[in-house]
Amino acid sequence: MSNKYKILVVEDENNIRNFIKTILETNGYQVLCANNGSNGKTMFLSHCPNLVILDLGLPDMDGLDLIRGIREEFATPIIILSARTNEIDKVKALDLGANDYVTKPFGTNEFLARVRATLRSTRQEEGERQVGKSFTVNNMTIDYERRSIVLDGEEIKLTQTEYNIVELLSIHAGRVLTYSEIIKKIWGYADAGSVKKLQVNMANIRKKFHEKPGENKYIKNELSVGYSFKDEEK
Amino acid sequence: MDKNRRPKNIIFSTIVLFTFFVISLFISELLEASTLIPALFVLAVFLIAMYTDGYWYGVAGSIVSVMALNYAFTFPYFKFNFSIPVNLVSAVIMLVITIFTSALMTKVRQQDKLQAEGEKEKMRANLLRAVSHDLRTPLTTIYGSSSAIVEKYDDLSKEQMIQLANGIRDDSQWLVGMVENLLTVTRIDNVKMKIVKSPVVLEELIDAVLVRFRKRYPNQEIEVSIPEDFVMIPMDATLIEQVVVNILENAVQHAVGMTRLILKVYIFNQKAFFEIIDDGCGIDKERMNDIFTGYFEKKNAPADCQKSSMGIGLSVCASIIRAHEGSIMVENNSQGGCCFRFCLDMEDEENEQ
Repeated sequence: MSNKYKILVVEDENNIRNFIKTILETNGYQVLCANNGSNGKTMFLSHCPNLVILDLGLPDMDGLDLIRGIREEFATPIIILSARTNEIDKVKALDLGANDYVTKPFGTNEFLARVRATLRSTRQEEGERQVGKSFTVNNMTIDYERRSIVLDGEEIKLTQTEYNIVELLSIHAGRVLTYSEIIKKIWGYADAGSVKKLQVNMANIRKKFHEKPGENKYIKNELSVGYSFKDEEK
Repeated sequence: MDKNRRPKNIIFSTIVLFTFFVISLFISELLEASTLIPALFVLAVFLIAMYTDGYWYGVAGSIVSVMALNYAFTFPYFKFNFSIPVNLVSAVIMLVITIFTSALMTKVRQQDKLQAEGEKEKMRANLLRAVSHDLRTPLTTIYGSSSAIVEKYDDLSKEQMIQLANGIRDDSQWLVGMVENLLTVTRIDNVKMKIVKSPVVLEELIDAVLVRFRKRYPNQEIEVSIPEDFVMIPMDATLIEQVVVNILENAVQHAVGMTRLILKVYIFNQKAFFEIIDDGCGIDKERMNDIFTGYFEKKNAPADCQKSSMGIGLSVCASIIRAHEGSIMVENNSQGGCCFRFCLDMEDEENEQ
């Protein structure tokens, strides 16, 4: 009997699959492998993994269809492996419900951090969905009940919209939210200027958080895709 | 060849013919100079042949012209009549002239295209040759070190193993950079140097650059100075990110004795200026001229000099900036080191597409 996390890796490249399997196994995860989309689907249904790692370019089907298929019934977290040049695919995958993406080629540390973060944030979403909890990362505490944010012992004054954005991101900490997803949840509707409006708000938030470019202590910026909140101390 | 252009070609031809028909009507009415009219129609067909694709618009135009000429401008007026030998002969001459014109135009155009393609092909071949040469060095390390580990893992000490693995990692990281640049080249190539610009928040761009740079050079400090205000610059973010990273990497690898590396952005005259400044060894005068193009022409690079390959990074930068209709230059600082500077237009040119 093992109570290890079960991770399903769907990737058609033998070598990449092997290397992912190795680093996951040496870090204490149980790994299942599939070399194409239909095998992936079968494995998923029969083993109910805790996390799926999915390559978007599969030989037999579009990876996006597999996400769609899984999301029809399951909330299992999905991490996408994608090529750097394909922003559109990333955004599509995230909008379909993928939790995060890792850009090929990637290093072991980066990859494992994403896996840990994704597993942790879904655990939080499943288990502890009581309101009124607070969230802490890197000397910052967000108190959901009082709608206040304290950074290094000092309260940060945010506008309503700014707070709403931070709250949304922090609830989904570790997960990349696309521009359109954030806009839909904050303003309810989207128009031509929405993305700019969001970016201006984010710039103000960064200023109030004293974020310096390149540091990403609290909020990570995924250029032309979206934003995510840091959920790991660093 | 290209179906989208067909309506455009047809409309263009019709407008030209109609305009010249009306002009001819006026001339024959007002000036009574009917000798001008065939010449006018030849001009019309010439224009059609010049500005439409292929052969057939010109030929069709010439037949219509002959008809129009015969109908409206030769005796008997406003009646078709091919029985008068003079009319018939002039019609034939007209047809021959116009057909030759359009045939000639088509040929000239094909030749231009062939020549342009030939040059592109030549550049691509040069690039390919140079790149494959450069790829061999890191591949040798990777192949050699990994087979050493696989075949001799029992005989190797832990330190030796780590050393080999580190070599593999360094060289594959170098390969990653090279491949990014090649992908960029093909990406610009594909869209025929036309890129899609969208407004990008400067701060977010710089953030992405620094994150990517620090992943590879965690120990290299960069002093950053950008405007306090919220600045948006229309660009292809992935490509410009590549430019800044390439120049920063170039400094790390080539600026010998560098102690400071500065990334500075400022706005002046509706333009965003990016400067990457180092205090290293500077650049030789003779290299200065071809630093952005040198890669393609350099044939006698030292055989095993891995660093020669960074040249591709800078020429990629130049073509990206050119595709953005910006400019890029480099100069040596008076106190040593050098400064790369490129600028981008701040104005949105969405209507250009």
